[in-house]
Amino acid sequence: MLQIIFDSLSLGSLYALGALGIALIFGVMRLVNFAHGDVIAFCIFALLWPSTDAMAIVFAGQLPWYLLVPLVLIVGAGLSVLCEITVFRHFRRANPATMMIASFALGFVIRYFLLMLFTSRPKSISLLPMLSQPVEIFGARLPLLQLITIVATVFILIGLSLFLRRTRFGLEMRAAAENFSMARMLGVRANRVIMGAFALSGALAGAIALIFGSQTGTADIQMGASIMLMAFIATVIGGLGSLAGAVLAGFLLGAASVVMQVMLPVDARPFRDAFVYGAVILVLLLRPQGLIAARGTKERV
Amino acid sequence: MAYRTRMLAAALAAVMAGFPALADDGKIVVGFATAASGFMEAYDKPAQDAAMIRIDEINAAGGLLGKKIEVVSADTKSDRAEGAKAGLSVIDKGADLVVVSCDYDFGAPAALAAEDARLVSFFLCAESVKAGIQGVGPHSFSASVLAAVQGATMAEWSFKQKNAKTYYRLLDTWTEYNKGICDGFDWMMPKLEAQGAKLVGKDTFKNDDASIAAQITRIKSLPQEPDAIMLCTMMPGAVSAIKQIRAAGINSMILNGSGVDGSYWLSAVPDLSNFYTPVQGSIYGDDPNPAVQTFNATYKKKTGTDPSSQYVYPGYSMIDVWAKAVERAKTTEVDAVVAELEKMKGEPTLFGPRTFTAELHHQNSARYLIAETKMGKPGIVGEWTISEPVPMSALVK
Repeated sequence: MLQIIFDSLSLGSLYALGALGIALIFGVMRLVNFAHGDVIAFCIFALLWPSTDAMAIVFAGQLPWYLLVPLVLIVGAGLSVLCEITVFRHFRRANPATMMIASFALGFVIRYFLLMLFTSRPKSISLLPMLSQPVEIFGARLPLLQLITIVATVFILIGLSLFLRRTRFGLEMRAAAENFSMARMLGVRANRVIMGAFALSGALAGAIALIFGSQTGTADIQMGASIMLMAFIATVIGGLGSLAGAVLAGFLLGAASVVMQVMLPVDARPFRDAFVYGAVILVLLLRPQGLIAARGTKERV
Repeated sequence: MAYRTRMLAAALAAVMAGFPALADDGKIVVGFATAASGFMEAYDKPAQDAAMIRIDEINAAGGLLGKKIEVVSADTKSDRAEGAKAGLSVIDKGADLVVVSCDYDFGAPAALAAEDARLVSFFLCAESVKAGIQGVGPHSFSASVLAAVQGATMAEWSFKQKNAKTYYRLLDTWTEYNKGICDGFDWMMPKLEAQGAKLVGKDTFKNDDASIAAQITRIKSLPQEPDAIMLCTMMPGAVSAIKQIRAAGINSMILNGSGVDGSYWLSAVPDLSNFYTPVQGSIYGDDPNPAVQTFNATYKKKTGTDPSSQYVYPGYSMIDVWAKAVERAKTTEVDAVVAELEKMKGEPTLFGPRTFTAELHHQNSARYLIAETKMGKPGIVGEWTISEPVPMSALVK
């Protein structure tokens, strides 16, 4: 039982972090950033030296952890900010659908850039190998990484909510999320806030890359796609634009996925995701505005 | 006058189109409709390089039927629609043999184009029963061995040679290849259960699952750790699954399909042990057949790298068996070549004997070397041929 809770929490952490990265950007500029998954993949590949050989040439990945972790976070934040400056800034007045298409295109550009440098062959990388040992906690034996994932996610969430509630920048960001044009009129600098949101979202992508990379030991140009999908669904059921909702829904999705895997009979297990998505549809039917609706997104009549 | 010239040209064109092979009779053409770009390239290119080595050898020894083998190619760009075009393109260039992509789904469009043109087609290394008569037509073949044979081989070998008694089956439902491995395992298991083995549990996961913690929890909640886990999966999810199984402290034997062969990913799971893979030949420099080691050296000289997995080898055996069939038929005419291929019963190749029949253009039994990875070092520890071929009923489920 305890084991199931830990399994759900660790998978949910991944989804929650991903959902948060998407919700942050959606909050300030109504953009569903589909390039987010490819930013995750890029963060992992940044640790490898470009080569088309089957054997990965680990480059920055060999750094000690206290340098490696900040480096990956900075790479994520940097790439994300770069995307905003080169692409999204020019779409400020475009409608959300146009921006979404642009984010798809950007995702492809990043993915094919990686394909060019590294080929499609998944590369193996031993990231933070000391985390792949089992530890015993309250009678449940679980990989150290699972524990670290949960603890790190909790810290990130606490840190982020402190940042949003206690700092001036956080205040501006929340104001922008609630009513962007009003916030601008009251003196919030739009570009600064948006760039901040992209940097945070990119750093979150870096965090996912680290966790995912050490868990799977693989760098694959497609690796962001599945997490991105789950994270996007989490932001939708959480209530688009609501940060707390995104996190909650991320954890719920993780739990649903694990519980289905445990409960379903063996013949039905290959269709686990169909059941998970079925539950998603049910949630949306009951609460179309999401679990926790963001105040700024409600239609006003 | 102009009218008559045009008529003549049209008639000539019609005749030329009808007999493309007659147009260039001084040579035999092998057409590669494979991926030279996109994600399939990583899988097609190595096997194609191996095929080129055999072609060069044949040409150096005086050619086939006294003619030089020429190679033409077209890029499928790892796209199914482009695959059909690439197939037509090499057929237009006069191919006598059409070689198509490694995977059934990606190779089938070009193979079907070859089938329509009544030409022999060979999948570079597809391991689904569909890659051949069942999924393309009577002139299509695959150069590799059925996935089901891999699962059956690992089950029987581990039971007979390693005294494994309790088995756990973990299937990644992503591809037909994965299901094929487990189908073979499922077919073999009842035979072993009659001799004292026991299947203690089954579970599934998906290749891109972010975590398989729930599946691992189920294995750990068994009263006893199983002797062996049959892991039916492929890259890239395989590495993730293996890493998570070992990180959870499960030390059972892990049995796999050939898809995980190669040492390029072992850095991700440091000091991996008790890990077994069936391979057609060894890339680790310890193949019992010295000719394979010579081949590895030639491959390195031509491509600049060592073979990265056993999937380079089928390309070589493919040209080998096809050339033998052409030699025996004394023509490249399609029916004669297919008839000669179908006469092959245990035809020796560098990478084990090959058999084709009028029902199956694929291997439903094969000699496999068993590679064991011990403290992160893979090496050959034995070889195994399943006691009876996998029957058609287990292949087309």
